Amino acid sequence: MAVKEDRELISSAKDIINQLSIILRTANIHSPSNIAVTTAIEKYIALLNPLIKSEQSILLELIGEFFYINSMRIRYSLDYLINFNFLVREFKKREIGSVIFKDFMNPRDLQTFLKAFIESGFSDTPYDTMSEGIDALSSIKIDRLKKIKEGEDVDTNTRKIIKKTYFTAVAYIEGLFSKIEAGERVNIKKSKRIVEAMVDRLLDEEQLLIGMTAIKDYDEYTYYHMVNVSILSIALGQRLGLNKKLLAVLGITAIFHDIGKIGTPYEILNKPSSLTDDEWKIMKRHPIGGVRAILKLRGFDSTAIRSAIVSFEHHIHNDFSGYPSVSNYMDLDLYSKIVCIADQYDAMTSSRVYSRIPIPPDKAISIMMERSGTQLDPVLLKFFINMIGVFPIGTLVMLDTKELGLVFESNEVMGDRPKVVIVIDSNGNRLKGPVVSLAQKDETGRYLRTIVKTLDPNKYNINLAEYLL
Amino acid sequence: MELTEDKDIKVVKELLQKLIKAKKTLRMYPQGNPIYVKTLEDLYTRFKSFFDYQDELTLKIGQNTIVYDSEQIYYNPEKEDNMALFLFKDGIKEITFKKELLQEELEEFLKVIVVDFDREKDKMSEDDMVTLLWEKDFQNIQYVVDETFLMDEIDEDYERKAVTSVKGRGTDVESLQRAYADGLEGMVKDEKKVSIMPPAFEEIQMLGSEMEKDSSDKMEKLITILFEVFSHAEGKDDLEDSIMFLKDIIRFSLTHGDIHTVINALGKVKSILDDSFTTDEAKKYMKMLFVYIGTEEIINLLGALLDSSSGVDEDILKRFTDFLDKDAIAPLVKILGDLKTIRARKSIIETLITIGGKDMQKLAAQLNDSRWYVVRNIVFILRRIGDKRAVDYLLKTMSHRDIRVRKEVIRTLGEMNGQGALQSLSECLDDSNVEIRIASARAIGNIGTDAAKKILIEKVSQKQFKDRDFNEKKEVYEILSRWKDADVLDYLAGILKKKSFFGMGRNYEDMACAAFCLGLVGNKEVLPLLYKFSDVNNKLLREVSQIAIKRLELGR
Repeated sequence: MAVKEDRELISSAKDIINQLSIILRTANIHSPSNIAVTTAIEKYIALLNPLIKSEQSILLELIGEFFYINSMRIRYSLDYLINFNFLVREFKKREIGSVIFKDFMNPRDLQTFLKAFIESGFSDTPYDTMSEGIDALSSIKIDRLKKIKEGEDVDTNTRKIIKKTYFTAVAYIEGLFSKIEAGERVNIKKSKRIVEAMVDRLLDEEQLLIGMTAIKDYDEYTYYHMVNVSILSIALGQRLGLNKKLLAVLGITAIFHDIGKIGTPYEILNKPSSLTDDEWKIMKRHPIGGVRAILKLRGFDSTAIRSAIVSFEHHIHNDFSGYPSVSNYMDLDLYSKIVCIADQYDAMTSSRVYSRIPIPPDKAISIMMERSGTQLDPVLLKFFINMIGVFPIGTLVMLDTKELGLVFESNEVMGDRPKVVIVIDSNGNRLKGPVVSLAQKDETGRYLRTIVKTLDPNKYNINLAEYLL
Repeated sequence: MELTEDKDIKVVKELLQKLIKAKKTLRMYPQGNPIYVKTLEDLYTRFKSFFDYQDELTLKIGQNTIVYDSEQIYYNPEKEDNMALFLFKDGIKEITFKKELLQEELEEFLKVIVVDFDREKDKMSEDDMVTLLWEKDFQNIQYVVDETFLMDEIDEDYERKAVTSVKGRGTDVESLQRAYADGLEGMVKDEKKVSIMPPAFEEIQMLGSEMEKDSSDKMEKLITILFEVFSHAEGKDDLEDSIMFLKDIIRFSLTHGDIHTVINALGKVKSILDDSFTTDEAKKYMKMLFVYIGTEEIINLLGALLDSSSGVDEDILKRFTDFLDKDAIAPLVKILGDLKTIRARKSIIETLITIGGKDMQKLAAQLNDSRWYVVRNIVFILRRIGDKRAVDYLLKTMSHRDIRVRKEVIRTLGEMNGQGALQSLSECLDDSNVEIRIASARAIGNIGTDAAKKILIEKVSQKQFKDRDFNEKKEVYEILSRWKDADVLDYLAGILKKKSFFGMGRNYEDMACAAFCLGLVGNKEVLPLLYKFSDVNNKLLREVSQIAIKRLELGR
């Protein structure tokens, strides 16, 4: 691809996706011959044809949660979020993995495409319906979503990389605590590099890295918690359209959010029973301790300032309840509100030494919904729940097939149809797999498996690590 | 077209040399400079030529070597100016430039590699080259990083131990079966209470504006937090820490030219001090900040800011200096002599005029400064303050080695008067330096009292005065004419009438001065006397008398 055209494609790529989404949304409301639709079609063709001319063809692919145009990943901002997400959902619903536009496009071709797209939405076999609908077209072709088509899972190597990234981060945090406690010099460059690696992994394999946060039975809660909160925050930030650099800043602020616990006595931090009032008082000082620790450690560069703010605010709720109490205070920082959500979720679902049995992930989401608008920012919470799913990874589920499983990967389009690892089969035999998608249907279009009940994995001492790691 | 393998290696070798040269050139010239632009364009052309026959260029980085296509194309065993080591030390093991490389990308890449990470240690302590490259998010430049950089202080076996440990607590079969049994019980599909609701358009818009707002500077927010932290302080350590951070912020902000943040922070300190609920202990700590802003460290930063091209708006400076107390006097005087621009010096002088009065002794003590121009400025400041308590200090400076200082002191004493001033000025009328004598006469004239008049008349009457230069005499006579009273009139008339047979030349000069000054005094009664001298032979006396007559007649 020539340099100039490359640049043009980059600038037009967002519009290609955005406009397609607009046409489809408009066509959902009006008939394809309606002027609103035809105008949108004309506009789209005017955008598409010059690009087809220079590139020969335009390949729009959906890989994971992201669109690629001619193999180039398209980054989007919040302005495009609704349209991008709509298109992701609609593509997934129809199992469409890619659309290729070639030759010279005319309005009639695009109208045929739209008609087939809308009709396939009502079909039990949407991909096939769509495929048949555009069969006569030579200028537009579609292909099935890769993972569904090939039934392939993420390769072992990717999982290894994800695990390495995760444990390196935890090990770094543990080392960081030890060094600070010993009064040694700390290498902050490393925290950036570690978070950058997490951002990269999240952009590639979001669900896998989020899956790592579901395992909560490690010895050192604090270190894992700091990394988990960082991962969940970055993932949420990604949903908000933050760019890589901002995601890294968010990740760093999140990874340092509990650094104030360095000043909390070990006996309190790791007390196996409930804390007394006095102990709670000490525990509640960690946001302030965090400000002090961060500023002492890192001075006043913009990331350090942001980290200190988040450390101070991450237990202050949306309605300014929580702690520490504040007077004459301005708005809460956006990153603080993100970290607050990630922190609450991870804390609730963890077996924290000082509190109690962890809450199952789906129950935690229900509780958080009740806190929407009071403790938690309602809009950010919506994004979070969309990301984590109503059945988050690690949820123990009973299926209508009399199989018991653990949620292994969320499904953003169909929140109630995640991927599940079967732990007991319908005959009551213990298993460690397979991983099945609850979105799978039989030949009559009926779902093969459906969740009928959730159970508390902690109540039965189910070790998620056995299945998720 | 395809190149032979040898030619290919040669081309890449040359390209790498160009890249290394560009690294040096771009460090020296600012963006947009013709040499900068040409270097970049030349390098990009080299890349494009290479990509005419290759799809990508991959360089493998060793500690002292760079390898292309299994061929070592760079070797440098030195630590300085070693391109390989420069990349290697942050963990970069391979760099690939792709065919679609844009000139903008190449420029951004160069901007990263021109950073002198050792020199910029303080400024960029949190960023290494990998971070900077990562943030650029290049589409057509890829790099492979060896993450052992991250592991050198981390237990490499951490992952295995953690996984073994966490998996070790296996799920027991009985519990799992119990879960299964419970799951089977009442297998009716639960209605999920939580449904996934995508955010509405309005909500996204709201979030969008919040994110836009979010990009603003966070220092103000941090300051608010530090005051909150201060209010939660539970002991001396907490208080000291809070104050230390606030001091750091003041220093940091001024270093970065942000005086507004400092003013706002100090405004908050002031309201805390004014708050009746603030404890004495807290007040004690808060006051430390006002002391801190007056220290040499902060005043030096203020000076640098004033001297900078952006400078500081007068009103803004005033808002800052209003917080300064008398302890700032000495540091302010110190930078007064160091500042490079007149604008900056003027600002500090105005500041010292404002706060100098808070402690005259402290300000006056600066009269001992070794720099004459600083002493002169302080004398000026004392004059502008106008506090007569300064006279004592000024009198001691009368004997300063530099005449410019002495003149400033004399002028100041003349404006301030004060005890002992007249006496001292009177003594200066006999100084060996004419400038001092004239300055003293002017100062005495400024004092304008009868005693001052008397001193001047006496001085003019003395024999040695007659021997002085005509211009000096004329000046002193003019000063005397400020007293437009009978004493002066009679005295001047007396000079004019006085006959002398010896030294007539000198006498004419005195008479001419007296005639001129009678014109200045403005009393027409002396016109007949002046007419007598309007046609004398002595040209000087004649012309001066005519001028005086004209002045009196025309009332000018």
